Amino acid sequence: MIPLFAWIPFLQPMGALGTYWWLLLLPLILGISITYRATHDASLDRFWYRVSLFTAKSMLAMGSLAIVMYLFVYLVIPILRVG
Amino acid sequence: MTHDTDQLDQPLHWMAALFSWILPGFGQIMAGHRRRGALAMIGVLGLFLSGLLIGGVDSVDRREDPLWFYAQAGAGPIAFAADWANASLLKTGKVGELVESPPQNPRAAAPMVSTFKTVTLASEIGILYCALAGLMNVVVVLDALKRPVAQLDTGGGRS
Repeated sequence: MIPLFAWIPFLQPMGALGTYWWLLLLPLILGISITYRATHDASLDRFWYRVSLFTAKSMLAMGSLAIVMYLFVYLVIPILRVG
Repeated sequence: MTHDTDQLDQPLHWMAALFSWILPGFGQIMAGHRRRGALAMIGVLGLFLSGLLIGGVDSVDRREDPLWFYAQAGAGPIAFAADWANASLLKTGKVGELVESPPQNPRAAAPMVSTFKTVTLASEIGILYCALAGLMNVVVVLDALKRPVAQLDTGGGRS
């Protein structure tokens, strides 16, 4: 049986995230952006545009950090001499 | 400097802060900032409910994850309700089954855990979502504490 069909929302953890777990960062950052912009900005004009921009910048920053960490782990660490 | 002094002189709205903790964004709505409060509510409750959807109700556990719960409690009574649901539904076996888990101390009796409890990545992400919802609601509560009541003649209700 495919695990998704046995899933009971709100009672069991979501299954079958696989290698796509990082996509859940997007709604996480979106929620933070909405709350932050709603409390921080003096005016709520162009609210969703600012939320989109903030979300995109945060995702870009996290993506850049992931690339840097990938390069460090797979390129830098192997060339380090041990002992 | 004048700006800082003005901010310090503003009165604190304790009732609005309390309302915002009870229901995220409600303090802003009570103060006349309806749109601002509704957006804050969407953000915080969206994060918290997404956390419960991803990680299940076990994402909020006052006894087993007390440090995470301190952050999650910032989201208000909904965090305590989720903890109560976890304790009364999963931990009692009313939903799912209770099975023995390997004891940490070999001499102790094997503890019983729900079959709905897992240590998957989804569970960890759920905990993180709920904790961030709580921390963001602290920001909302502090905003409600300092934000002046909207004036009717300035269209404050639209802010």
